[in-house]
Amino acid sequence: MTFKKSILFFGFAICMLTGCADSYHWTASHPAYHKAPYGGIAVTGIENAFVITRSSWFAKRLEIGKDSIQIKGTLHCRSIFETEMRKAYGNLIVLPDTTNTKFPEESLKLDERIFIKGHIPEQGVPLRDPAGNVPPVVLILHEFIIGTDLKRENFFDYALIHNESGNIKKPDNVSAVYSYTLWDNLKQRPLFSAVDEIQQPITTYKLANLTNLIQLAVQKIRKNLYEGVVK
Amino acid sequence: MKKLLIILMIFAAYACASEVYFNSNWTLWKDATILIWTPDGNTPVNAAELCLSLRRNNTGIGDPKCRELGEWERDSVAQRYGQWFSQNLEKGLPPVHLRARHPGMAAKIQTLEDNIVLFLAPHGKDIQVAIFDETVQEPKAAGIVKANSDKIALSDDIAATFFDKRTKRRLSKEERLKMQTEPDDLYKEVPNIKIWAGVGVGFSQAHFPLTPDNWTSSHTNSRVKNYRATKDSVSLWNFIDDADPFLSLYAGLTWHGFIGIEFMYRYSNRHMKLDASDTIYKELDHWNFGQHDIGLNALLSMTYPITPWLDITPLFFLGFQYSFYVEDIGLKKGVKEPSRSYKYRIKFEDVYKGALVGVGGQFVFLKHYGIDLRAGISSRGRDLYEAPSPDAGAAPTIIGKSTIDCFISLGIEYHWTL
Repeated sequence: MTFKKSILFFGFAICMLTGCADSYHWTASHPAYHKAPYGGIAVTGIENAFVITRSSWFAKRLEIGKDSIQIKGTLHCRSIFETEMRKAYGNLIVLPDTTNTKFPEESLKLDERIFIKGHIPEQGVPLRDPAGNVPPVVLILHEFIIGTDLKRENFFDYALIHNESGNIKKPDNVSAVYSYTLWDNLKQRPLFSAVDEIQQPITTYKLANLTNLIQLAVQKIRKNLYEGVVK
Repeated sequence: MKKLLIILMIFAAYACASEVYFNSNWTLWKDATILIWTPDGNTPVNAAELCLSLRRNNTGIGDPKCRELGEWERDSVAQRYGQWFSQNLEKGLPPVHLRARHPGMAAKIQTLEDNIVLFLAPHGKDIQVAIFDETVQEPKAAGIVKANSDKIALSDDIAATFFDKRTKRRLSKEERLKMQTEPDDLYKEVPNIKIWAGVGVGFSQAHFPLTPDNWTSSHTNSRVKNYRATKDSVSLWNFIDDADPFLSLYAGLTWHGFIGIEFMYRYSNRHMKLDASDTIYKELDHWNFGQHDIGLNALLSMTYPITPWLDITPLFFLGFQYSFYVEDIGLKKGVKEPSRSYKYRIKFEDVYKGALVGVGGQFVFLKHYGIDLRAGISSRGRDLYEAPSPDAGAAPTIIGKSTIDCFISLGIEYHWTL
């Protein structure tokens, strides 16, 4: 055990010296994840997942009142997300958040230091849509944080989680950091989980750019779902 | 021939009948309590028969007790997990993916104490078997056995596949309580500073093991004539004995178990290599040099706690040393006036400087008592650039430009930490 620890220690030390600090695993696949969803999928969590940080910055550029940016902005993101998902998966079922949020919040390990947090259905209890059907796979969107110059390790690496940038500088990028789990609803197991990060360079920022950010995010989710398949 | 074929077929059938997916290190208690958990309530075995099978298959199991785990079979949380588990148990799936996530289920597993849960669920033509204990929320062992309406044969199959291991004495309530509050023996923090002091014996020689003799023979075979003359004077081993035991005293410390420093002192007594054919030595009773080495080593080490009572610390050391030679010479009784050569005999430098390099290991028993093994190479030399002395005429007085030897040593140490 100690030998293993010391190997880890040396590995860590070598990593520190050679500067391979960015060697996180941002995705995790279940050994039984053999086929990416195709044609149909259910999605849940989109009612409450979206969060816009730096609301006044966004309010000014998107020309939405500062006190309604959270509501209107996230509603926009949600509808774009849904539209994009529908384009990608013809048969899209949107489950209300409450189907999943009634389960306790848990953490899911992706890497030694990366844990995502979210509601995960109980073992033995399938999620059902309002009509009572059991969709075979469900994409659970845990969090979708929109801000400027965000880095996912500052949100998900527990060693860096208290890092806050001291001074607000002129932002370079609008970023989205989001976590999700592809849930095998028939066998109630997490097939694939990931944390993604998107950086969108700022020139002028309008609502179309925010739309584009969500479109990029959905594309990346789909790409990851395909790449995460265990061969 | 036919009979043999039938026997072989039976063997083959028996071999295929059960399959273990994984079986990690779990404790099978002597006089164990086996709780049979069948999520749907229809136990494929008979509790009493299972106990008899266990006793037949494992003589060390003592007097086991078996019963159905009704409280889990009636509980909805356990039922859901049981069904989920049965659905998810697959060959090749690591047990971590079968962990019980529900807090209620986790609590149930944690409060099992020293009872063993035997999970049984029908799965096609097989029966899924899994074993849970209190230590983790995932199964410790799992696999399948062939379904059999003969409950005795099925029990035998389960017992032979999963309970064929050494048993341990079951602990009493007090012992369990004590075990739970005991700190982990192998868990410890690396001390900031570890100090040791020791005394050792060793042996050094000029000839390196596994190297050809002729590499060093010009030094080792050299003899001193006329109190001072040798073939060359590069190495001290041309003058004094090149293979001698030594005594050492040393003390050191390591910082955070990694980098250390060590002070050492060594003493050895070296006889002069006199040429016995030289009649001039008839007047001489003895001629030795006491060699005193004082040195400082830098250490790199790493400690491995092998057992609660033994730590092993391999180490690498690199250091420097100063060597002093103290002459002890005496003429035979009755020799009133020594020869002229005696007065112009060889003298050693006041001090020789050198380096040491080597590897070793400290074996520390019960945190304090250590045995230390070392092996290495050391050198001694003198300053090459010296102001010429007006007395330099009577050569060779300045000797030992470069002297190298190897050594091994064994020491006993006392260790303590700050």
